[in-house]
Amino acid sequence: MLKNYLKIAFKVFLRRKFYTFISLFGIALTLIVLVVAVSLWDHVFGPHPPETRPDRVLTVYFIRATGPAGNNTSGPAGYAFLDRYVRTLTSPERISVHGIFLPTVSYRNGAKIKSWVKNVDAEFWRIFQFSFLEGGPFTAEDDRNGNRVAVINETTRRRFFGGAGAVGQVIELDRQSYRVVGVVSDTPMLRLTTFADAWTPINSRKSQQFKREFENGMFFSTILAKSAADLPKIREEFAGMLTRVEFPDPKQFNRIEGQPKTLLEAASDELTGGYLRTVVMIAIVLFMCLPTINLININVSRIRERASEIGLRKAFGASSWTLVGQFVIENVLLTLIGGLLAFAGSQLILRMINASGWVPYAQLTLNPRIFLYGLALAVFFGLFSGVYPAWKMSRLHPVEALRGGEQ
Amino acid sequence: MIKHLLKLVWNRKRGNLLVTLEIFVCFLVLFATVVMIGYYADNYRRPLGYEYEDVWSISTSISTVVDLDRDNGELMRKYAAAFHAALKNMPEIESVAVIRQAPYSFSWTGRTIEYNGKKLSTTSNEASDELAQVLSLKLVRGRWFSPADDGLAWDPAVINQKLAAELFGSEDPLGKDISEKGDAARTGSSTPARRGMRVVGVISDFRKDGELSAPETYLFSRTTPGRSKGLYFLIKIRPGTPRTFEETVLRRLHAINPSWDFEVDPLTRVMQTKLGYQIAPMAAAVIVVSFLMVMVALGLIGVVWQSVSRRTREIGLRRACGAPAGSIHLQVLGELLVICSVGLGLGTLLVIQLPLLDLVGFLTTEMYIYSLITSLALIYGLTLGCGIYPSRLATRIQPVDALRWE
Repeated sequence: MLKNYLKIAFKVFLRRKFYTFISLFGIALTLIVLVVAVSLWDHVFGPHPPETRPDRVLTVYFIRATGPAGNNTSGPAGYAFLDRYVRTLTSPERISVHGIFLPTVSYRNGAKIKSWVKNVDAEFWRIFQFSFLEGGPFTAEDDRNGNRVAVINETTRRRFFGGAGAVGQVIELDRQSYRVVGVVSDTPMLRLTTFADAWTPINSRKSQQFKREFENGMFFSTILAKSAADLPKIREEFAGMLTRVEFPDPKQFNRIEGQPKTLLEAASDELTGGYLRTVVMIAIVLFMCLPTINLININVSRIRERASEIGLRKAFGASSWTLVGQFVIENVLLTLIGGLLAFAGSQLILRMINASGWVPYAQLTLNPRIFLYGLALAVFFGLFSGVYPAWKMSRLHPVEALRGGEQ
Repeated sequence: MIKHLLKLVWNRKRGNLLVTLEIFVCFLVLFATVVMIGYYADNYRRPLGYEYEDVWSISTSISTVVDLDRDNGELMRKYAAAFHAALKNMPEIESVAVIRQAPYSFSWTGRTIEYNGKKLSTTSNEASDELAQVLSLKLVRGRWFSPADDGLAWDPAVINQKLAAELFGSEDPLGKDISEKGDAARTGSSTPARRGMRVVGVISDFRKDGELSAPETYLFSRTTPGRSKGLYFLIKIRPGTPRTFEETVLRRLHAINPSWDFEVDPLTRVMQTKLGYQIAPMAAAVIVVSFLMVMVALGLIGVVWQSVSRRTREIGLRRACGAPAGSIHLQVLGELLVICSVGLGLGTLLVIQLPLLDLVGFLTTEMYIYSLITSLALIYGLTLGCGIYPSRLATRIQPVDALRWE
């Protein structure tokens, strides 16, 4: 039965090449755009190494300090505040304090190399699971003693050393020499929490001035909860802690607002005031509207020309549901073919984006999860655009249908 | 005639509804794109206010500046002055200026100023006396900063035309005193409240973020090497100096302080990079939308074609009764136009709500109307274009084909 349907479907596709082409074009185009969008989203927010446990990790990104005169400042917190008040929270499993990434320029054999350096503590390596290509992370002792050691990423290794075997070599960053202890694979630049070209111990900074910064600084703090269920407890403890902060200069600032957030929450609050998901969903629905309507339109007009076939089948006793089933299967088959084309197309486009350097360090790939989303979308598409026209046609009166459809 | 067309369309309202809906959505998508392109094109044609040919920027790493600034302002002042003097003495360099935020850099500062009880938030920057020369700033009135400003009891300020118009209206801005609100504690530094400012000059504009950025109010205050928090040097080099001069500059600066980290970049290159980042997502959107339009166009051709071939009897009958090809054309295209107009009418009604509700403040009314007209014209063109081929097919229908049915 199914085999028969498929056979008919293929014959129909080939008979009306123009319509088949339009349908495939629309389906493939829509899916390509969606798949590329989903993989960009996944690139920024999905669970990828080193951020493999997004459900248990919260980060204090920006805080807002207010003074008695109503003056305020917001931005990354200062080291002193994070060290004294966030590191001492008791409910989390681990807590790391790490700097925002800052640019530095090095010269090697006359060539200019621009790298982003991030100062981190030793806990950073235990919260985030970097995949080390060689060597390993630096230790708490390295950080305490301010040892000039660095973990670099694959790109930096290639730029400075050409290839493997960087561990033990010396790299110059910010006009200081660092000994490379580990090499990790690249992390995308849009991952604000973990990205850097080189990670160095906080205490290896040239000046230790940053230790006095309180409400206004250049540090984030990342908290690893014991389990995802612990997150509310941690947020609560954090909020409680904020009320007990003793300010170094209460005349300047005497109140801090802020909370540990997931990257998605932080991005959502910063960009759209908390509605990122909603905004994205509305955009996607609007965007999908057009191809869906287009597909329904084509299907409606296409299916009419098969009125005589429908009439014949009805005359021989086929029920409306059987006919709907047949047309829906045909349509789903078409969308699946479109889906296949889309995957080939999006593979190509993702590769182009990777090669263009438009998204720095992007290694956008079509992972199985995205493939499944896309497939589900394709089937939904097929059902959605196929059911209405099929149902309309299946209710034709056989006599009229045999004559070639109503006018 | 039109009444008749409306009737024809109404009689097949169920089938036409979907096409109307499609045109409606298509219009919304196209309009959003046209507005976006129009907005940036409008910005692009505005004057930048400066020239950056042969200008290079020299910056120190942020960590160096921040550490030094908090550590020992004295040290920073000393070095900045030494760097400035060293650069000035190089024969390849025509002039050197200090600026807090160089063109195309990613940082931003704002201030709230007050004049005659009128408060205004404006983008601000600090620059030294030589900036007018380095960037060939276009002064409209008054003057740029000069060493003569050193001993004054007030701080000189140079504003752009937009700020002058918004703050002073038709008054002459030169010599007017402006004050600043709620600034003292913002940076967290312990600088005392600023002195009063007096406007000494008006520049045509200074669009720091480049060609695509929106016009904004701008205020320059004066700085001298080492006084400003940021540390950007802008150097104007003699035309024809090779890129390798970069290394000479670095050697010279590192001879003064080997532990500082500098980045030297021609502004033209910085500009290209930034423009690339800005244009890429737009280009992607435009490509996607044009494909969507092609898809809709193909779909429409299909639908019209199908409807023509289904109405063989009706059209054939008209032909048999002596209707010329022209009137068949008119009927097919006319019906399409009616359907299209209904969709576009709905779309226009919706789109007009946005400025009425004041949701698109960043667009000028003019731009909005232009975008609306362009989108309407494009959709009408698209729809008609899609109708032409099927309607020609319709004129070829032979009366015999139609009469066979009767």
